[in-house]
Amino acid sequence: MRRPGIRSLAGGAAGIVAGVIGGIALTSVSAASGPTPAAPEIDAAHTPPVLTRAGEPVTLRYAIVCAPRDDGEPCDGSGSLFVRAGQSGPFQQLTLRRGEDSSGGRYFVDLPRGIASSRAGFSYYATLRDGASGATITVPAGGDAAPQRSVPLLDAPEVVLGAHAFGRDRAPDERVVAAAWGGEVGEAGVVGSRELGFVGPSSFDVAADGSVTVLDQVNARVQHWSRAGVRATSLEVSGGLADFALEPGGVMDVLEPPSRASPAPILRSFRADGTPRWAQRLSDRTWAKLAAGPAGPVVQQQPSEQWVPVAANGTALDRAAQAGQGRPGRPFANGREVVVERVGSGELRLAELVGNGVVCSWRIISATPLGEVQLAEPHGTRLVVVTKTFTDNRSEYVVLVLDRSGIVNSFALESLEWAESAPLARFRLAGSLLYRLGSTRAGLFVDRFDVEVSR
Amino acid sequence: MKAFLVAFGVGVVLAGATGAQAYHRFWANCNYDAPTFMTTMTRDAAQDYANAARYEGYQWGGGCWNYDDADSYPYDAPGDPSAHGEGGDCSGLTFKTWRESTDTWRDGRYYWRALRNVHGPYTAGDFKSGLGAPNHVVAKSTAGVMDAFASSTHIGMIFYRSLYGGDQIVEAKCEACGTNIFYRTYRSDPNYGGVARWGWTG
Repeated sequence: MRRPGIRSLAGGAAGIVAGVIGGIALTSVSAASGPTPAAPEIDAAHTPPVLTRAGEPVTLRYAIVCAPRDDGEPCDGSGSLFVRAGQSGPFQQLTLRRGEDSSGGRYFVDLPRGIASSRAGFSYYATLRDGASGATITVPAGGDAAPQRSVPLLDAPEVVLGAHAFGRDRAPDERVVAAAWGGEVGEAGVVGSRELGFVGPSSFDVAADGSVTVLDQVNARVQHWSRAGVRATSLEVSGGLADFALEPGGVMDVLEPPSRASPAPILRSFRADGTPRWAQRLSDRTWAKLAAGPAGPVVQQQPSEQWVPVAANGTALDRAAQAGQGRPGRPFANGREVVVERVGSGELRLAELVGNGVVCSWRIISATPLGEVQLAEPHGTRLVVVTKTFTDNRSEYVVLVLDRSGIVNSFALESLEWAESAPLARFRLAGSLLYRLGSTRAGLFVDRFDVEVSR
Repeated sequence: MKAFLVAFGVGVVLAGATGAQAYHRFWANCNYDAPTFMTTMTRDAAQDYANAARYEGYQWGGGCWNYDDADSYPYDAPGDPSAHGEGGDCSGLTFKTWRESTDTWRDGRYYWRALRNVHGPYTAGDFKSGLGAPNHVVAKSTAGVMDAFASSTHIGMIFYRSLYGGDQIVEAKCEACGTNIFYRTYRSDPNYGGVARWGWTG
């Protein structure tokens, strides 16, 4: 082997230095250029008054969100509202006004009294525009095919809860799942740290036979607990905080959050053996809750704030088809839908609809602030509601069983949420049995409560 | 010349696989420009600003991103500020959106452009405690648009309230989550407190 000369060594050293510099420069240019920086699309936010009281003035407010201006001022938005009294017929166009305050949405319309107080309610959609880019967005995306629908609370009993007494929690009737943290069958996956917080199984569902399926996304699987024991089925999921629903026949739906790999939410459908059926992007940008509807999975979404079907009879719907079928309430097999609206800090409005007509409705007032509504489902002629009540440093769940006259049964449940789960996935109802997903430092559990029993 | 070319190739490979490359990753595109002092700061302009950071990734200890709707380095090691990837972390995103000063005693409004690399002096726990002249705690039940919920480890801003009583939260939560708008129930979570910025002008 010939010894390298000085010139070869110098050339090699210079080459390495030049190569490193060139490589860094190339990487930087690549990162800097990439796709051409683009202004984000126009977006919007709106909370529809889906349940109104008689004589209540209605102001519809919208936040128009567009690319940030270089001068730091809000975007130059505008928009039109298309509204009608009742639930069918032609829409009347009103121009949104631009207010001084954006805390509830800068762009607004005070509805004419004749529309706001219609006994058939009112329906509407808005087209919003960014003056700088010309971009537009329709909210809800279904427009005139699936407008926001608002109905009046007719003869709604007023349920006054008063101030919540913390610490009087009901104990479970039975603990049906108890799983230590871990990766073995019968254990539940958890990730995180004391510094960053912990994430455990993000959702679960209960079959008609009472067997419990837990989405153990940390271990990329579901686990089924039944009288026969526990078994695991692998699923190709991202591991993010997903919601989960079981359909008849064992089909499983997993609603994935946005992630670095997929910036839009996706619903994945799996066969009972865990093999993928299809994956479909949602029509909206954000989801709150997944449920199994009469014809397939339905998702409560934002900014539409509607329940939107993502598949029908086993086939995924494209985004336009989803948006064209949005509804204000969650549909159930009995042909009814349940509409929920949390108002202010301590008011909850509920209604059961058939078509666009109110069958029964409730107005619940709490002196202690109310948080999210985890569950609102019919049970026979009654409605079971699970909501959270909270102060700045405490919280508990309140379970209400309602009939047409008011409260039939109620009890409180301790918030046992050591590990994070999907936002509205902590409760499931099967007949009169309410199941709660919870966690402690020791592991995961599912507890069962009979809502027809007072304790 | 042959030795130079061979070594040049080796150097390019090294640049793609060494700490030198890591140091000069996304942050090589960032700047250290002075912020623009503002007399106004509206909640919807804050919505615009935070919304534009969606899809741009998450970087622990970071505060620099562009507007190409993609995380340029989506698989950085979590919790490693030396990764120098794209995006803010939760408190960096909040600091920039809330137009705060790097001096905790200043309560003025300072507009930081997206590519200005600044995280600010506050952790999520600092925000939760209301530390800093521009910040204060609020009752969670009254927290509104572009106020925030903070725990000892995380902070997210309220993009808008939602029908079911939860909130659409704009946040940079983790490397895998990126920066986006998620539906959250922080409002009723005892681990979280309400926190807000003084000085909104509309």
